[in-house]
Amino acid sequence: MAESAQPLVRKYKKYCLQYYNSAVCPYGFHCTYNHSERHEIDLVAYLEGTDFILGEPPKTIRQCHYYKLGRCIFQDRCRYLHDNDDSLRNQSDQQGATNSQPSEKVDLPSTSAQADKKSESESQPNLSKELTQTNDEEHESDGTESSLEEDEEEEGACASPAVVKNKSWAEAPEFVPRGWSYAQVVKADEPQDKLENRKLCPYTTKEGICVNVATCNNVHGEFCDMCERYLLHPYNESERKRHQQECVEQHERNMEHSFAIQRSKEKTCGICFEIIMEKANGEQRFGILPNCNHCFCLTCIRKWRQAHQFENKIIRACPECRVTSDFVCPSMYWVDTKEDKSKLIEDYKEALSRKDCKYFKRGEGKCPFGNKCFYKHATPDGNNIDVGPPSRQRRHRHVDTELDVLQVVLWDFLDGRDFPWQSLANDLEDLVSFFTDSDESDWSDYELFLD
Amino acid sequence: MANIAAQRIKREFKEVIKSEEVAKCAIKLELVDDNYTELRGEIAGPPDTAYEGGNFLLEIKVPETYPFNPPKVRFMTRIWHPNISSVTGAICLDILKDQWAAAMTLRTVLLSLQALLSAAEPDDPQDAVVARQYKENLEMFKLTARHWTNVYAGGPNVNPECDEKIKRLIDMGIEEHQARVALSSYNWDLERATEQLFS
Repeated sequence: MAESAQPLVRKYKKYCLQYYNSAVCPYGFHCTYNHSERHEIDLVAYLEGTDFILGEPPKTIRQCHYYKLGRCIFQDRCRYLHDNDDSLRNQSDQQGATNSQPSEKVDLPSTSAQADKKSESESQPNLSKELTQTNDEEHESDGTESSLEEDEEEEGACASPAVVKNKSWAEAPEFVPRGWSYAQVVKADEPQDKLENRKLCPYTTKEGICVNVATCNNVHGEFCDMCERYLLHPYNESERKRHQQECVEQHERNMEHSFAIQRSKEKTCGICFEIIMEKANGEQRFGILPNCNHCFCLTCIRKWRQAHQFENKIIRACPECRVTSDFVCPSMYWVDTKEDKSKLIEDYKEALSRKDCKYFKRGEGKCPFGNKCFYKHATPDGNNIDVGPPSRQRRHRHVDTELDVLQVVLWDFLDGRDFPWQSLANDLEDLVSFFTDSDESDWSDYELFLD
Repeated sequence: MANIAAQRIKREFKEVIKSEEVAKCAIKLELVDDNYTELRGEIAGPPDTAYEGGNFLLEIKVPETYPFNPPKVRFMTRIWHPNISSVTGAICLDILKDQWAAAMTLRTVLLSLQALLSAAEPDDPQDAVVARQYKENLEMFKLTARHWTNVYAGGPNVNPECDEKIKRLIDMGIEEHQARVALSSYNWDLERATEQLFS
């Protein structure tokens, strides 16, 4: 074994360990070892404490799998064969020839080479002795042979042997994902993998920093001036436009909102004289009268319209100008313009029309407002029913007593709901339904028709 | 007192203090108690009326349900007016009753009362005797109102004739105010007033 070891060692070339690991060598041209990158070396052995490795040029040139699929990121620098590219093949052949100095090695059948490798690894102590002895000669003789390749390919396909001491192992090529995974290459033709169709990286923080920015395969958004977030798709133009459109709309909504606050914030209620936006939580709401432009908080105007010590004509009138309005429209903000106001009222009626009328009771009861009722008159199977105009009744004693009973029930209802109403203040829908279910919008309408 | 009432009166009070009517000495408002339930108002008799030059004190009581109910207002100063009781000072004014609106304030109430002094409503009287006189003998009504303003509200128009008649009744042992009421009710006819007083 010892005798056969020497030719063995001679048979393999010494490659620069530094260059093998990092594709850079501090000695540059003056390095005494061959400079070849990982994929150009079939590694044989590494001796601890030395700064070279033993190896030989790759024996076979295989077809490049990636190239066959049409995507090889190394292009003409690929170690594998790119079909129908003869010049490349020749080049790599030449390279192999120049690199493989010992002629016997090229002639060696691959099986014997493998056997050699095995025996070599068995005789490691011997080998190391040999190597240290030959170290000096090698430095002189091989110095001229150092490869001139300056390629900056940073990765190789072959596995490093366990003995190789790579200083920062986490950066070993095995752990660093490449630009293209096998799956990505295989599915490359499918449209969802096109850059513009890829989703933005979901792991990006608000500041646009991807936790794994070095290795993340996702598309990372560009900075959007409007929302000040990194949400612009870098490749997909329509996606970009959609986001910008969204931002513009959001901006408009914000503007509208701040205008609404601006015009609302100084408004005082004509009844309690307080600034409505500064009232207690749940009372910061406007009660808009459809027929005049006087400003009240919802609580006050509703309370006024419930006052039974006055005639209907009085309480249904605006406390400021005495213009009669049939209902009060709740609103979070004051409305200035006619358009805003009619839109608000439309929305309000629209919201009510989706709720079942509590008098009609899905067909079981009778609604005194008839088809003038704002609420939904529909049977359980969803058919809307026109119950005709409200029946006009004269107010006489019998009806009066009936009214009293109804009123008592309503007040019980109101009292019971008093607190939940406060806490539910944000839920406009609930509030609307609660109020209009129970109090004066219905109530005064009711009385209107009775009068 | 309900919070809303006290809060509102506080605001109104400040509003009245700063108002131009106060600057012109047409109305005045002061607090009687600290919790804003009772106030004292004062209005000047409107110019070119029988009440010119007089200052009329008003008692204002704010109900707990204010401003959903009107304040209770009464003349403390005696006044000869068809819509104000010459006995109790009770006022007959629609906005203080069924025509009240929650947006009205103490200031508007005081100004309304001032307007009432210059434009009486004899068809909706509080004091029937005064109203009848107003309708039947307007000149006599004005004379009486002026006299009352002079005597009770500090008005400038002294009427020696009235004073003389009252003095004669006082001499007969009648209390002064009683004598004035009797004479005023009978158009300053001393004979009929005496007859009524001693009947």
